[in-house]
Amino acid sequence: MTDRKWGDLAKKIESGWGPERERAARVGLDHRAATRRVAMGVLVSVAALAFAAGATGAFMHWRTHEATNTVSLAPSATPLGGAVETVTVTRLSPETVLEAMPEHHGRGFELRAGGARFSAPHDAAHPFVVVASDVVVEDIGTTFTVQYLPGDKLQVAVEQGRVKVRMHGTETEIAAGDSLELALLPAALAKPRGKGGPAVASWRPLAEKGQYDEAHAALTKAGPNAVRDETADLLLAADVARLGGYPAEAVPYLERVLRAHASDPRSGLASFTLGRVLLDELGRPGEAAEAFARARAGGGPLAEDALAREVEAASRAGDVTRSRELAREYQAKYPHGRRAKAVSRFGGLD
Amino acid sequence: MLQKPHLSLVAPVSDVGGRELLTIEALFSAYSGYVATLAARLLGSGDAEVDDVVQDVFWLASRRMAKIPDLVQGRGWLATVTTRVVGRKLLRRRFRALFHASQGGGNVPARGATAEERAILTRLYEVLDGLPTQARLAWSLRYLEGEPLDAVASACGCSLATAKRRVAAAKSVIDEVFRDD
Repeated sequence: MTDRKWGDLAKKIESGWGPERERAARVGLDHRAATRRVAMGVLVSVAALAFAAGATGAFMHWRTHEATNTVSLAPSATPLGGAVETVTVTRLSPETVLEAMPEHHGRGFELRAGGARFSAPHDAAHPFVVVASDVVVEDIGTTFTVQYLPGDKLQVAVEQGRVKVRMHGTETEIAAGDSLELALLPAALAKPRGKGGPAVASWRPLAEKGQYDEAHAALTKAGPNAVRDETADLLLAADVARLGGYPAEAVPYLERVLRAHASDPRSGLASFTLGRVLLDELGRPGEAAEAFARARAGGGPLAEDALAREVEAASRAGDVTRSRELAREYQAKYPHGRRAKAVSRFGGLD
Repeated sequence: MLQKPHLSLVAPVSDVGGRELLTIEALFSAYSGYVATLAARLLGSGDAEVDDVVQDVFWLASRRMAKIPDLVQGRGWLATVTTRVVGRKLLRRRFRALFHASQGGGNVPARGATAEERAILTRLYEVLDGLPTQARLAWSLRYLEGEPLDAVASACGCSLATAKRRVAAAKSVIDEVFRDD
């Protein structure tokens, strides 16, 4: 076969390329471009996050070291033996609020919030003392950490030596390597503490300004007694919890409104909000349905939405009969309701 | 004595300013058919594989538009990229054939060919399947596409001598197989 003949024969090979395949190829290319954009977006986000995490880590490292350096204190009283030894205090988080107790001459601190690590040489004549809420920690030559924990708790952990922990007349000694968690009394958390008082009670203005993360941190430090037993304050605290990213903590506040202030016109709103938190945030549709039912029982502008959400909650709870029943009720009450489509879907009326 | 006129050197007029910026859309419209046909001839197979190659080639082109000076030179650039993409596809096909996962070619898209021509083409691609991929591509570009040897070398990314050697190696086998035709 001649070389020229191969060329002629090759002309018989056709790709069958046409407008349809051309269009399909364009779609494929667009899809690839979109995928690449998403991938690049993810890559950039990951890189940015890694950079931010690195920068935060470096900043925290710097802060920690700076804090260590700035609060290393030479004791005002010369220790036994005459050697000059220093007390080193390290703040464990930026939220840490620590104040020196003047009467202890550099060997006493009050921890108002957050946590701190203390390293103090023992001085029998001048014991090193840390007061946190109603707990007094006294060292017997040691390095230890005192830290507030969520749920009104305080943790004392000992690295070296021993400490004495006093609380309401009882005294416990903790040795190196051990730690102790203490439940704090709400009254002690809420009591005014000199200059630190306003800082602890500062959650409300933060919440009113919409700074929910900061308000939540302040509220956690202040403890549950910082919330007054009034509908407005309870609703605000619930907003702080759910919008600060802790929806489960909003539930008790909302339930307190329903229990103690049922006659308040805002109890319907509290009930509706509770339903939303339970359904959307906590995945508890059965309880959410009950909350929505209470919300619509009082009528008012939320009744339609509450009924629609109750249909959804019942459906998600697997109660098909109830959701269908409620969906029919919605259709009867609100034939042109703005949530008719969703109600039909969840109620199985489509 | 006549004075010579004063001459000064002037830079050649650049044609860049007047040239329109090449877009992937224009490239695709102009050459998608060419790329598809070239891919079909190099692969010796039908629609799905060809579509993949076209997408791969223009995807690469969309990311390398800066390297394509204009629409005319785009053809050569696309031929080179198509050859490489097809080369990778052939290697994958060969690898899959090791595990009996692929039937290889066998379905030459020659709708207008007579039964005899179709038989020859089928036999040709069977022979090509047995050749080293680079030799196969070089021969296909030279004899099926009718490209000159320097274009074959450019598309295969090798020197002219290497291109000649590859074409010759494949040609000797194919000539031997089809000696009596």
